Amino acid sequence: MRRREFNKALLSCTLPPCLGQARDSDLKVKSVDDLPELVGEISLYLGRGEGGLYENVLKAITDRNPKFKLSIRRGPTAALANAIVAEKKAGIRRADVFWAVDAGAIGLVVDQEIAEPLPSELVNQLRPNYRYRNWLPVSGRIRTLPFNTNALEVEQIPRSIMSIPNEGFKLGWAPEYASFQSFITAMRLLEGDEATSEWLQKVNSSAKRYAGELGVVMGVERGEVDVGFANHYYTLRLKAGKPDARLDLAFTKGDSGCLVNASGILALTSSNTVFNFMSYLFTKEVQSYLSSEAFEIPFVDGVALPQGIPRLDSVSPPAIDLTELSDLRPTLNLMRELRVL
Amino acid sequence: MRTKLTSMLGLFAGLAFLVSHPVASFADGEVGEHVNNMQAHLENYEGEIAWFLDELRKITTAYEGGGSSEYTSDMLIDNWEAVDFHAAIETNYIQIYASIWQGIYGVKTSLDSGDSPDSVDAEEAGLRKALWQGLGAVKLAARFQSEGLTAAKGDIDSRGLSSSETLDTIKSELDRAIAKSAERLPAEATDIVLNAYLELFEGLEGDLITLDAELVEDLEKDFNVTLPQALSSELSLDSLNQVVSEMKGKLDQSKKLMQEAEESRRSVF
Repeated sequence: MRRREFNKALLSCTLPPCLGQARDSDLKVKSVDDLPELVGEISLYLGRGEGGLYENVLKAITDRNPKFKLSIRRGPTAALANAIVAEKKAGIRRADVFWAVDAGAIGLVVDQEIAEPLPSELVNQLRPNYRYRNWLPVSGRIRTLPFNTNALEVEQIPRSIMSIPNEGFKLGWAPEYASFQSFITAMRLLEGDEATSEWLQKVNSSAKRYAGELGVVMGVERGEVDVGFANHYYTLRLKAGKPDARLDLAFTKGDSGCLVNASGILALTSSNTVFNFMSYLFTKEVQSYLSSEAFEIPFVDGVALPQGIPRLDSVSPPAIDLTELSDLRPTLNLMRELRVL
Repeated sequence: MRTKLTSMLGLFAGLAFLVSHPVASFADGEVGEHVNNMQAHLENYEGEIAWFLDELRKITTAYEGGGSSEYTSDMLIDNWEAVDFHAAIETNYIQIYASIWQGIYGVKTSLDSGDSPDSVDAEEAGLRKALWQGLGAVKLAARFQSEGLTAAKGDIDSRGLSSSETLDTIKSELDRAIAKSAERLPAEATDIVLNAYLELFEGLEGDLITLDAELVEDLEKDFNVTLPQALSSELSLDSLNQVVSEMKGKLDQSKKLMQEAEESRRSVF
């Protein structure tokens, strides 16, 4: 029920968020020089991820604003989301802002109706298809099919994720990996449990298993498997360290195989300091830093995409409310039932 | 029982691993507040070691006298787990902690196998040496602690770890895995390695692979295949140390690369 209420609260998420088309002539990315100085103190719950790059961003913000004090509690994103919900039930609010590494954890908090509505000026900085009333996607990652270029041409790879297990490819996956599980959640939501179950069984019967998605991508490059399932940035990073890697990216079309997931931020208290702090994350400086250093997809216009990502109008993510990816339990149950986990 | 410890400061030249751990588990009871004020407990630790060695002597003497139901080899483990010093050395110098366990099992195995008194004495001498080395290490750690150079144990995530700090933490986790192996807890040792990979190394390898893809491939294999296999094969401590030593060399190389990359990384603003 709450999920339905939340869906109504979205300003726009029902159209396929085709990144390349998300142009808005009114959009103008702000520079840090356009923002007011931060004054005051806030408490941030920060989900761990992206090595130290988020930390670098936060340090740069606090260094630039000497009258601003940021208290940070760090932990796994899901654990922090649960802590926020538990604190709410206990009548406590310790965090002013929550920065999560995936939208599913955002959904868990948003469902509790404890995220503050955000000023439209802040929301409207984002590409139109990524505007939400009470959370902001900070940077994104695309599900991809890394493939070995010695084994396959891109044209040989179907544009439908559901067809991949039927092609006789040697497949590589990391089903324990959180991003993979979000992708399966998206598949469940888009295709239904029965089709997802069939897909998982087919892949499980033949795929080589890896501990993480970087491992999948390395396995593809070594030729252990032809095709893998992984977030885009692992391939870009491996190619950055090994330019002659026998590796490229393929994308499916309009299904969970090219899901765009995001790290996201929400406010748990409402104040100018909180909203101004959030504004810093959508400046051209921070967005381009996350794009160039973390290979993540920026959500504001006017910021270059990570090098190696194809023209985004050739990528067609599915129409899905990212916060619904918090509905992880049925996914885990299904994967356990099929002995994938 | 499991105790979460996080703070991490590698501070002394002589003690390479005076660190705490993101998630540390201990074989015996509560770690105890004494580890946050070791200087005040040094006398107690010293008394415990004297008592432990005295009991050890009674056990080996009873063995050499034909055996006694009052002094059995199992008492070695019970006695060791009963002393506060156990936690003090485990939280501060995991390598000696491993040597102590190795010594305890060396004596116990020698007794249980019916070895000659000379062999038992040789094992006992090794254990005594490890215990006194441990006391020396704890004394040094206590001095640094009393001078405020180390963080309190038990602080959870008071700050973010840099990549260098994370790599140091991984190295200390590998030592902890060896210690658990010396305790004859191979499954726990393997869990420590896999957790170090998932909770610590995986967060770094995305960056590291842009710097040296082959190094990451090597370490991936070490974390997921080479070391877990070595632990489950219950290799000797020396052989395990060799595997871990090679991994540490690669982690040091990773640290160097990442430090250089961080220095040349563009600034945010």
